[in-house]
Amino acid sequence: MKHQQQSGFTLMEIIIALALTAMLLTMLTAGLYGVVRDWDDDASALDDSMDLAVTVLQLERALLGAFPHSYRDQETLAREVYFKGEEDSLAWVSEVSPGRQGNRTAWQLVNGSDGVMVFLTPAMSDNPDERLASVEPRLLFPGYEVRFEYLYEGLEFERLWRDSWPGAEVNNLPLAVHVHLTPHDDIANEPIDIITAIPANRHRAIRPNLELIQ
Amino acid sequence: MKTFLYNKAQHQSHSWNKQRGFTLLEVMVALTITSLVLGSIFTLAAGSKRLAVSTQESVRDSAAIRARINLALLDNQFRELQFPQDMEEGDFEIQAGERPEDPIRRTEPLRDLLEFYEITYPGQQAPLTGTRWVRLELPE
Repeated sequence: MKHQQQSGFTLMEIIIALALTAMLLTMLTAGLYGVVRDWDDDASALDDSMDLAVTVLQLERALLGAFPHSYRDQETLAREVYFKGEEDSLAWVSEVSPGRQGNRTAWQLVNGSDGVMVFLTPAMSDNPDERLASVEPRLLFPGYEVRFEYLYEGLEFERLWRDSWPGAEVNNLPLAVHVHLTPHDDIANEPIDIITAIPANRHRAIRPNLELIQ
Repeated sequence: MKTFLYNKAQHQSHSWNKQRGFTLLEVMVALTITSLVLGSIFTLAAGSKRLAVSTQESVRDSAAIRARINLALLDNQFRELQFPQDMEEGDFEIQAGERPEDPIRRTEPLRDLLEFYEITYPGQQAPLTGTRWVRLELPE
């Protein structure tokens, strides 16, 4: 009798063991699923925030390296400095060129439907507008909207911000640029600010037209 | 002798029984050990997740601090700086420090020099310093 009981499991034992195993496996699977999903979310969120941080730094450097690029206007034959600053877009020529290009690069930032788009093209000696119009834009800050402010010196030597900078008329670069990035969804993301001084704000040969700014 | 044989037979039968399958207790012990191991793996994963979240936060914070330090530098460079729109007030202050030592041989008066500066803010724990380029009104 005893020998027969020891030789295998009873039905009851098997049912209990199976039930316990099933319960444990269900719990483990549920836990594992949650952990894996969380892990994936975190990894992609971390990747995104690292990408964002690098992009912010790169943009800061590109603005710091803004160059008073000049071209000859075909109609008036005057030399004009290229820096088209609007409230919601900015085009400038920078010493900083992404992708290890040796020459200067014309940058243009505009608001798109998915986020802030960037246009990049090598800056030759002419007006970069046409070449900027012919390149494919790239999404730089997905889910953000950009606004710009430009710093100038007032008549009393006070420094004020304004929201447009027509470089061709002023023939000068602003003292500094403030880039404000507002996220489309305010809950998940926080606004980002970039503030950059522009050290090379004067062209050596072209006289700035400061009256227009003041 | 008889007792010995009986004992041996009992021992063999016991051993044979033990080899034949797992008891409920053994299965439960095995499952407990497995769940302990898996639990520790999940704990490690949770720690790594916390690390990822805190990294994300510090990356974001450092971008914001960078903007405020740049603003403080501007404020220090140009007096009477208007505060830009939509930016949180930062209590970062820049204190201009000394200049690096002059080069041994200087051939002409220079307008462009380097200057050390120090960043101070409330709740500061470690000193923050930097070097910047300054342009003087008159060559020196």
